[in-house]
Amino acid sequence: MSDLAIGLLSFPALLFLIFARVPIGLAMFVTGLVGIVMVTGNLNIPLGRLKSETYSTFSSYSLSIVPMFLLMGYFATLGGMSTALFKAAEGFLGHRRGGVAMAAIGACAGFGAICGSSLATAATMGRVALPELRRYGYAGGFSTATLAAGGTLGILIPPSVVLVIYAILTEQNIAKLFLAAFIPGILAALGYVVAVSIYVRLYPESAGTRAAIPYRERFRLLFDVWPVLLVFGGVVGGIYAGWFTPTEGAAVGAAGTGLIALANGGLTVATLKDSFTTTAKSTAMIFFIILGAGFYNGFLALTNVPQELADFVLSRGFSPWAILALILVFYLVLGCVMDSLSMILLTIPIFFPVISVLDFGLVDLIAMQHDAARTALAGAADIAPEIRAEVEALIASGAEISRDLQKEIGIRVTQGMADRIALERTAIWFGILVLIVVEVGLITPPVGMNLFIINAMDRNTRMLETYKAVLFFVGSDILRVILLALFPAITLFLIPFG
Amino acid sequence: MHRFIEKLARGMALLGGMVLTLLILLICVSVLGRSLNTLLHGWIGQMMPGFSKWLLDMGIGPVNGDFEIVEAGVAFAIFAFLPLCQLNSGHAVVDIFTSKLSPRVNRALRMLTEIVFAAVLVLIAVQLFGGMLAKLRFGENTFILQFPVWWGYAASFCAAVVAAIVGIYVAAVRIRECVSGKEILL
Repeated sequence: MSDLAIGLLSFPALLFLIFARVPIGLAMFVTGLVGIVMVTGNLNIPLGRLKSETYSTFSSYSLSIVPMFLLMGYFATLGGMSTALFKAAEGFLGHRRGGVAMAAIGACAGFGAICGSSLATAATMGRVALPELRRYGYAGGFSTATLAAGGTLGILIPPSVVLVIYAILTEQNIAKLFLAAFIPGILAALGYVVAVSIYVRLYPESAGTRAAIPYRERFRLLFDVWPVLLVFGGVVGGIYAGWFTPTEGAAVGAAGTGLIALANGGLTVATLKDSFTTTAKSTAMIFFIILGAGFYNGFLALTNVPQELADFVLSRGFSPWAILALILVFYLVLGCVMDSLSMILLTIPIFFPVISVLDFGLVDLIAMQHDAARTALAGAADIAPEIRAEVEALIASGAEISRDLQKEIGIRVTQGMADRIALERTAIWFGILVLIVVEVGLITPPVGMNLFIINAMDRNTRMLETYKAVLFFVGSDILRVILLALFPAITLFLIPFG
Repeated sequence: MHRFIEKLARGMALLGGMVLTLLILLICVSVLGRSLNTLLHGWIGQMMPGFSKWLLDMGIGPVNGDFEIVEAGVAFAIFAFLPLCQLNSGHAVVDIFTSKLSPRVNRALRMLTEIVFAAVLVLIAVQLFGGMLAKLRFGENTFILQFPVWWGYAASFCAAVVAAIVGIYVAAVRIRECVSGKEILL
């Protein structure tokens, strides 16, 4: 059997193991180990790798951000920030039709800004908002679906654990990815609010009403949200402003939320122990998957499968958009049964090489030249008039500026530079799209983790009711993916490239 | 026996949590020191030169090589987190297909899985020990702080041993469950 065949056959083998309830990290680890032995014919090679690979994976400085963000999320809950967010949003929106559900979405978005995990956001906001929704007469399935969908904002709105891992896998800048996730995250929250308002118009009996409260009271509630703003501004703003690295930002954020929780009396020895054990379980789960994925991907690289796949796609000349659509649909389907982080770790090393060789027209070399030329012409007075006229004519006609002419006005914009920027843009845009589609997996029946978490909190609501109501939110997600895929500029709008 | 293992796993998780907290504080001190250092060299230094010099001479600045401690510490913390995850079946699984199968088949599957898992955890601990010996033999030191790399390996190895013990325990429980046909561990 050729190496390539072994590599390709490892997919069905791995999927079989995963579907036979073998933990995903273990399945990848074992498949990778067996695969390396089959390819190299030498048991000592994987064993030798194992001597340093566990330690080097677990001792990664950039990955240490993961337990810190998780801890920060638990501290934020203990500090009463989830309650403050919900009360403030509820004060402003609660009296509208479907308003309490909209407030829950808004509070989830706010909590997502200080918490990097969807499951934690869903669990936290579920505890806070579900009793209130039920108290105001919101239907069971509608309430649980709203919170499950709102929970996905935890990962969409930065900081985000999944995005950190994507950034490390694809060697992209974490700060830029966080920034890129911002507008799509806001769009997600708005889309969910629209989904709520459509739902309550179609099923008016599913939402109760309450009287409006005075504005004085509303602003008092809004004021209580200041710790959230402080933490979000400090962490995400600080990372972006270059005050500190993402890991340092996570540490500052965890310490900050911890202090606030301590000041509010939410952080005691008992709750601190709980935060440690919960963080321990999630962290161990995540890192074991990372370890297994590292082994499996090391094996795949030996078999050359990712490279061959990319070459195949390129040589056949498939439409880039068709490939992209295929990959996104694949994630949507796989997301019905698998969790988001596992999917990313399993598939990005295969899909990213393919995506990175495709041309989505995200960079226009000529437009880049013209921008640089315009700046140069405006800035320098000592350019000979005839050269100035020649360049201006080229800009006016939309033609390429030759290398020699570029030299005359002191600029240099080459194909290589354009390619580099195109790769970065593609990586960021694709990352955000993947982030959204894997998050949809958290709320798609039958195996949406968020649905399970929230549904388990409400004994009176049947799973089927949650399934029905959540389809509105899934619809909103799919529309947003299509929108962001068709208009990459929405995602890339905030990112400076250079 | 079960109570002992549970205490062990929980204790390791708490220890890991404490180490993580210390690392967070270390990073915060480093960030604070660096910011102060910048300010003291900047506008505070212009306004109060003597005071700034005094503080700078005291060594206000970033903690040099903090990331080397963070790396070694976080590796230990994650190894220390593994036992609890193992004991509580906290690993991510896809159970939609197996949930249709009979409890007996499920018990058998889980037994097989946990046996393999225990074997992998033992393998990881053994190879980590090998890695530690290699670092010890070459006398490799970290770049900035110049502490021996094998220290980090040794700390992680201790936690990895606990993970392997808990893994073996869980596998043994699953074997008993499979034989007796009764659920013992959730």
